[in-house]
Amino acid sequence: MIPQKGMIKVSTAFERVIHCYLAITCLLLIITGLGMMFHSLNFLAQPFGGLKSMKTAHTYLGVIFIPALFISALLWWKDAGIFDFPSDIEWLKKGGGYLWHVDNVPETGKYNPGQKLFFLTVVIFGLLMIISGFIMWFPEGYNKETVNWMYALHALGLLAILSFVIVHIYLGTIGVPGSAGAILTGYVPKSWCLKQCPKWLRQQEKEDKLEYFEGH
Amino acid sequence: MTNHWNDIQNSDCILIMGSNAASNHPISFKYVTRAQERGAKLISVDPRFTRTSSKADIYAPLRSGTDIAFLGGMIKYILDNQLIQKKYVRHYTNATFLVNPSFKLPGENNGVFSGLVGHKYDKSSWSFQTDAEGIIKKDMTMQDPHCVYRLLKKQYARYTPQMVSKITGTPEDKLLAIYKEYAGTGKTGKAGTIMYAMGWTQHTVGTQNIRTMAMIQLLLGNMGVAGGGVNALRGESNVQGSTDHCLLFHILPGYLKTPKASQPTLEAYNQKYTPKTKEPHSLNWWKNYPKYSASLLRSHYGMNASLEEAYHYLPKLDDGKNYSWLSLFERMYKGGFSGFFAWGQNPACSGASSNEVREALNKLDWMVNVNIFDNETGSFWKAPGVNSEKIKTEVFMLPCAASMEKEGSITNSGRWMQWRYKAVDSPGEAKPDSEIITELFYRLKKLYKKEGGPLAEAITRLTWNYGPLGADGRIRHLDTHMIAKEINGYFLQDTTVKGKKFKKGTLVPSFAYLQDDGSTSSGNWLYCNSYTEKGNMAARRNYKDKSGIGLYSEWSWCWPVNRRIIYNGASVDPDTGIPWDKKDPVIMWNGSKWIGDVPDGVAPPGAGRLPFIMKPHGVGSIFGPGRADGPFPEHYEPLECPVEKNYLSPQMINPVIKRWDKEGTGTPVDARATCDPRFPFVCSTYRVSEHWQTGVMTRWCPWLAEMQPDLFVEISHELAKLKGIKNGEIITVSSIRGKVNAVAMVTHRFKPFNIAGNTVHEVGLPWHYGWITTKMREYVHGDKKPEIFTRGDSANMLTPFIGDANTMIPESKAFMVNIEKKGV
Amino acid sequence: MAEKIKLYDATKCTGCRGCQLACKQWNDLPAHQTRNTGSYQNPADLQSNTWLLMRFQEMATDTGGVEWLFRHNACMHCTDSACVRVCPSEALFHTSYGTVALDQSKCIGCKECMVVCPFDVPRFDPKTNKVSKCDMCFARVERDMEPACVKACPTGALQFGDKDKMLAVIRERTAALGGKGYLYGDKFVGGTHMLYILPEKPAKYAELPENPRIPISLVAWKDWLKPLSLLAPGVALAGALLHYLTKGPKDTINKQEGGV
Repeated sequence: MIPQKGMIKVSTAFERVIHCYLAITCLLLIITGLGMMFHSLNFLAQPFGGLKSMKTAHTYLGVIFIPALFISALLWWKDAGIFDFPSDIEWLKKGGGYLWHVDNVPETGKYNPGQKLFFLTVVIFGLLMIISGFIMWFPEGYNKETVNWMYALHALGLLAILSFVIVHIYLGTIGVPGSAGAILTGYVPKSWCLKQCPKWLRQQEKEDKLEYFEGH
Repeated sequence: MTNHWNDIQNSDCILIMGSNAASNHPISFKYVTRAQERGAKLISVDPRFTRTSSKADIYAPLRSGTDIAFLGGMIKYILDNQLIQKKYVRHYTNATFLVNPSFKLPGENNGVFSGLVGHKYDKSSWSFQTDAEGIIKKDMTMQDPHCVYRLLKKQYARYTPQMVSKITGTPEDKLLAIYKEYAGTGKTGKAGTIMYAMGWTQHTVGTQNIRTMAMIQLLLGNMGVAGGGVNALRGESNVQGSTDHCLLFHILPGYLKTPKASQPTLEAYNQKYTPKTKEPHSLNWWKNYPKYSASLLRSHYGMNASLEEAYHYLPKLDDGKNYSWLSLFERMYKGGFSGFFAWGQNPACSGASSNEVREALNKLDWMVNVNIFDNETGSFWKAPGVNSEKIKTEVFMLPCAASMEKEGSITNSGRWMQWRYKAVDSPGEAKPDSEIITELFYRLKKLYKKEGGPLAEAITRLTWNYGPLGADGRIRHLDTHMIAKEINGYFLQDTTVKGKKFKKGTLVPSFAYLQDDGSTSSGNWLYCNSYTEKGNMAARRNYKDKSGIGLYSEWSWCWPVNRRIIYNGASVDPDTGIPWDKKDPVIMWNGSKWIGDVPDGVAPPGAGRLPFIMKPHGVGSIFGPGRADGPFPEHYEPLECPVEKNYLSPQMINPVIKRWDKEGTGTPVDARATCDPRFPFVCSTYRVSEHWQTGVMTRWCPWLAEMQPDLFVEISHELAKLKGIKNGEIITVSSIRGKVNAVAMVTHRFKPFNIAGNTVHEVGLPWHYGWITTKMREYVHGDKKPEIFTRGDSANMLTPFIGDANTMIPESKAFMVNIEKKGV
Repeated sequence: MAEKIKLYDATKCTGCRGCQLACKQWNDLPAHQTRNTGSYQNPADLQSNTWLLMRFQEMATDTGGVEWLFRHNACMHCTDSACVRVCPSEALFHTSYGTVALDQSKCIGCKECMVVCPFDVPRFDPKTNKVSKCDMCFARVERDMEPACVKACPTGALQFGDKDKMLAVIRERTAALGGKGYLYGDKFVGGTHMLYILPEKPAKYAELPENPRIPISLVAWKDWLKPLSLLAPGVALAGALLHYLTKGPKDTINKQEGGV
């Protein structure tokens, strides 16, 4: 994963740190959450020293997750939060060319609509997880029915986020080779850019903003 | 109780009046509930709707202090509707006896019986007519105008439902419903029972309250039968036992009388108190009085003194003097005592008019407080508002063992003497009472030996055989069994009684073997049979019931002679010996002997033996000339009441109660307020399940304090509205004698009474509280500090200093108060 | 092991609170400072240190009288217990007697049982960060003893025994009461292991749900969302794998440029 000369810089160090922060808290929350959700997964609590401490870890990880989510939302909102019409819709209709043979996949900007959907899912459901989580943590003072629905919503959030996370990880690693560099070193091959974000590449080139890896 | 706790289950109709048994005797409801399951009806009569009322089939409210009116109405109902059990009344009561023609009833004598002189009755007109041989004249048809039955009818003819309702505030329909239900137990084979407690005794007419019910029970044939009787629910686990063993000033153990100064010799004393009768069929058990008095003297002094000497040593009452609780505290208040042992009691909270009691304590030079915890009495000198520097009383605290820290017996309401084992050692320096008394005895004896004094022998010659002696002549280890054996009694010499030979030093098998010649001892003749050569009967734990009616005759032991239902001779037909109630027979004649309970003095069927053997004439007293305030009960108002007149007669209050003010004492104990606009509301005091007595044992138990943390006063919604009081706020309850702050409990369970067209409000509060909490205790390092505290002082700050005409029990169930929002 | 039933027959209850005290004593629950708020009921509600509370409720009747209702308020021990369903750590569990016990050492203090319980029974103690509730004296029952509250009851309002036997007792008692007794507990949440015989309709009682049921939200989350939340990521994972195997990775890397 060592960047090579001529690779294009697609993310700043700050972005990579935030992504990492978000990814780790999110994964830990998923693991600790699943560990509590399924008795068969209670063993996941072992590294935490038991369920009770894992529960404590989960609640505080939730608190730690809040800034990650907010910073991420702000950071990537412009690139991943806004859909381009109609090209993004067209792209979605064609499944981005991932699922069946498509002759002309509409070109995408820095993030394709699939990534945008994932981003929005994380932001919206992440927010839902925070709100429902807090109400579950301190149920006193809320109508019981409300609190009970929070548990359902929390599960729904998990369902949505976890499903997307799996796809995200697949496509970010072996599914789309070269992607991992974007969040590890910040550099990807130009050919990757041509496939993944041609519009953005052109835009950057036009504005002469592209940074290339200069070598060590 | 003439019957016992388990026996309540055999009843067909249970009247709970003057008691809130469900709260204060919760276990009794095991048997009440069982009776209900078998179809019995439960009636609750109480000024306030209580836990008991919540389980009742019929509930009726009545204004505190009007029970005689209520029950008098029932007598009228029973007689008018001819619901008495005729054969029973005719043969087993004095209804047929002819009374002195000069006897007058209150209805024809301005509300008092004939013979009232000042504040005392001359009872000469309360006598029976006798023939030439001295036998009482009777009219078995009960038609003679002077016969008890006719007089009874005349007396209660005035207690019409309208009149009763006017006095008690009980709606007429409720009255009649209850009269009808309860009078139904007059049918042969039906049994009704009464469960009463302090709600009946703590009145200026307390004794007569109970008398009225006893008369009803006789009329309905409910005495001596299973599921019947007159049943006093005692307020402490062992109050029956302590009364049997002479808790009260006027009696010695076994209800022998305390000698008076006017009885200089044992003979004069026996002569005075041994009743005589000419009735041929009466056993007149008290004719054995000299045997019991001699045996008691022997138990005190053994062979250290002759019977005559021993009698001489006994303290004598001054004639005409009263030494009851109220009298003693009145005297203490006036500085009449220098020292006081407060032993297992807390008068600063339990005494009527507690302010005066607390005041009285500082007139003492010294006080010894024997208790398991400190209390308001022992610490009266540091009560809020008291300047300790001005108190001269020196107070000693002797910590004593709690019940589970010592061995011994208690006697429950049902007269069962039950042996208890010691569970744990007492903490710190605490000692069982018996050891404290023994130590006291040794010191007194030493002092008397050294310094002498009036009647020094009364102490120095006492026997004290309660355990093996050490070299110093002192008991090394006090043995409670020795005390129990002494109470039972020994043969003091080889002797033959009733054809049986007994060796010196053996235990007397029963009181039938006690002698008047000094050859036997018995600390309490009633308990003779409790600890015999067969062993400690009170420790028996056989739970088999051979009787089928729950007598459990081999579980513990019961006085007298293990008889579980007294007067059971009255439970059978006098001619045939067949039980009135064939379903629940107490005793039965099997052709050669009585089987079932220990028979009460009965001879074979048809022999004519009268069943009420403790009564001189052998029958139950519907006419009871023994009482100080009349042979029939008559309604009088409480000393403090909300009405300006007694609607029945011109006599407002019981004419023979001891009135301190009339004797010119002029102290605050006289304070009373009747029909005083400053104190317009009737008030009663009572208990709750969660606390006991003055709360010394319960207020300091966190779990109980958590459930009942505050003194509260229950008031009706109507009164709360009138006074602008909200539920849960702290208000002030005041009487002319004092005041307390209490949490207002606004409740539907109190309702205003309609008394002769006027609205009368009643309030009530429990009396368990006191100003001491564990917060004030001194703690040593490492003590676990309690965290739960109660609030409120004793409700006895409010109660009047006036007693019943016969017993001097204070009238803490009916007096007048005011309530105000706090700070107004 | 036979199912056990604790019967609270309010028609025999005098509200003496012997049960409330016995519960505290046996379970060694501390007292807390309370104040009288104008009622015999104290503490005002179930607490982490009060697993059993006698409720007192008085009502004026139409005829000018008064009714004083008592209720023994503790865990109802549902057959279909919401609390057991949600407990993440299996701290709450069904015993072989059908009752619901709580192994406090396993409790993680998530409070979910508190919000799903249709009877509002479990209570949270911030000091221990754990929930507590009546376990019908599981330890006693295992040793063939009745629960402490039943042992203390003087009137027989509380009875305990095998389900068959207790149902017979109930049949007999309700027949004897002749329409004046209302059985409560047999008709919902699979039947509770504490049953009430009430002298009044359940609707008259404060804090007593007439038709208690498992919250629909719990069904949504436990019965639908919980399996789905495994299924959906599973599908995603399988899809990704399938994609990789059938379509292969996306051709994003120019071989000359190198890279991964």
